[in-house]
Amino acid sequence: MSTIQLKKFEYYEPDTVSEAAELLKEYGGSAQIQAGGIDLIPRLRSGSIKADALVNISNIPGLEEIRYTEGEGYRFGAMTRLRTLDFCPVLKAKYPAVQAAIHQITSVQSKYMGTAVGNLCLATPASDVAPALMAYDAELTIAGTGGERKQKLCDFYLDYRKTSLAQDEFVTGVFIPEPAANAGDAFFNRVRTHADIAKITVAAVVTEKDGVCTDAKIAVGAAAPTVIRIAKAEDLLKGQKIGDDLFMAAAEEAERAVAPISDFRSTAEYRREMTRMLTYRALQEAFERAERSER
Amino acid sequence: MTKFEKSSLLLMLKVNGEEMQALLEGPHVTLADVLRNKLGLTGTKEACRCGECGSCTVLVDGTPMLSCSVLAVAVRGKEITTIEGLAKGGELHPIQQAFIDSGAIQCGFCSPGMILMAKALLEENPDPTELEIKEHIGGNLCRCTGYIKIIEAIQLAAKRMGKGAA
Ligand SMILES: Cc1cc2nc3c(=O)[nH]c(=O)nc-3n(C[C@H](O)[C@H](O)[C@H](O)COP(=O)(O)OP(=O)(O)OC[C@H]3O[C@@H](n4cnc5c(N)ncnc54)[C@H](O)[C@@H]3O)c2cc1C
Repeated sequence: MSTIQLKKFEYYEPDTVSEAAELLKEYGGSAQIQAGGIDLIPRLRSGSIKADALVNISNIPGLEEIRYTEGEGYRFGAMTRLRTLDFCPVLKAKYPAVQAAIHQITSVQSKYMGTAVGNLCLATPASDVAPALMAYDAELTIAGTGGERKQKLCDFYLDYRKTSLAQDEFVTGVFIPEPAANAGDAFFNRVRTHADIAKITVAAVVTEKDGVCTDAKIAVGAAAPTVIRIAKAEDLLKGQKIGDDLFMAAAEEAERAVAPISDFRSTAEYRREMTRMLTYRALQEAFERAERSER
Repeated sequence: MTKFEKSSLLLMLKVNGEEMQALLEGPHVTLADVLRNKLGLTGTKEACRCGECGSCTVLVDGTPMLSCSVLAVAVRGKEITTIEGLAKGGELHPIQQAFIDSGAIQCGFCSPGMILMAKALLEENPDPTELEIKEHIGGNLCRCTGYIKIIEAIQLAAKRMGKGAA
């Protein structure tokens, strides 16, 4: 048990998005956004991050909202808790891989407290939630003192634990476009024990028509400094007749695209091999679901 | 906008139905610290202090939260329930009784967190399946019982509480 006490900081509860952005600007990088705090507070205690001020965004109206518009997509806010998403019937019906990625997180308290956006903002390559959302081509809404911008999740990560957020910016919400009627998806990960974070995660979302792949998005976690999309494998699939040989060729592309490390969870070699195997299985499952899709 | 300076502050908290006040060194003090060290409510345990073990679980407006990772200032005005708030008039809560009757308590360190998680579960879902119980306590570590008796205790509590309501 860590016996280290938290260091002192100032604490704010802004009422609006612009107040929060102004605070971030004022502190010039020494303030931290606090959402659920489930990652932030332990990290402040261990000293791995430092903050002169915390900006708790949980009182800003509207940030907990979920809105689904048929034919358009699904939106949720920066304060939408993982637990709410886990038990959202629309998410489960329309974006099963996203719900599966959230559901398999074992710590129920961390889902009651933690937000999906907080998970994304950690920018850890070992997120389960980020690959699933990335495979669905999710887009972030980012607010700063100069206004709002949108960015695809696949462009949000710059490096290990590094995002595109400027000092005065934070994420206010996520938009997941409506999947095509003939889409299918899959989510797979490998863990040492269920309570641990993933050694490798693969998510895929595909569409097919008459046995031909019309679109494919594959995202892999814990196999590079950030969660990544595998563009080469996606390109190889598009326009081709689906089948095991094609899936294996795409899986081999995925294996070539990753750059995993060895650590106490796994060796780089195992992670590369599992990237291939899980990509192969994810494609099998996603195309199977696409073929019997009734969305 | 609400702001708390780095300086000490007097905080009012509603714990187990009672208004309580505590003098904090600043807004950086966690709820677990306030409960254990300022209010003397040591039923809430702290083991890992990084959110991994679940032993510091309390209910905030009925929602399970890890009090080691919650700032006390952030839960002002909310209804906080700790293990001390479960027994009424000297009589144990049916979940506490079921834990005793099932032999689900050994060293007792995980019990407050387990029992509060069970309470949150049974309020949401009075008749959970075994899998639902297992999933619900997935964030709570026990190093004595092997979990089986804890699962049985929650099943027993569900049965007894269901009877009481019918
Ligand atoms: C026991 C445990 C088990 C877990 N298991 C898994 C797992 O299996 N798979 C998995 O993927 N994840 C897992 N997690 C990670 C968990 O999902 C995240 O820690 C949680 O979602 C973070 O959300 P939060 O709201 O608590 O963020 P906070 O702790 O409040 O913030 C985390 C970081 O993100 C920043 N931040 C938060 N919100 C924003 C925002 N809107 N804009 C900009 N920056 C922001 C904060 O400044 C901070 O640096 C686990 C966590 C715990 C504690």
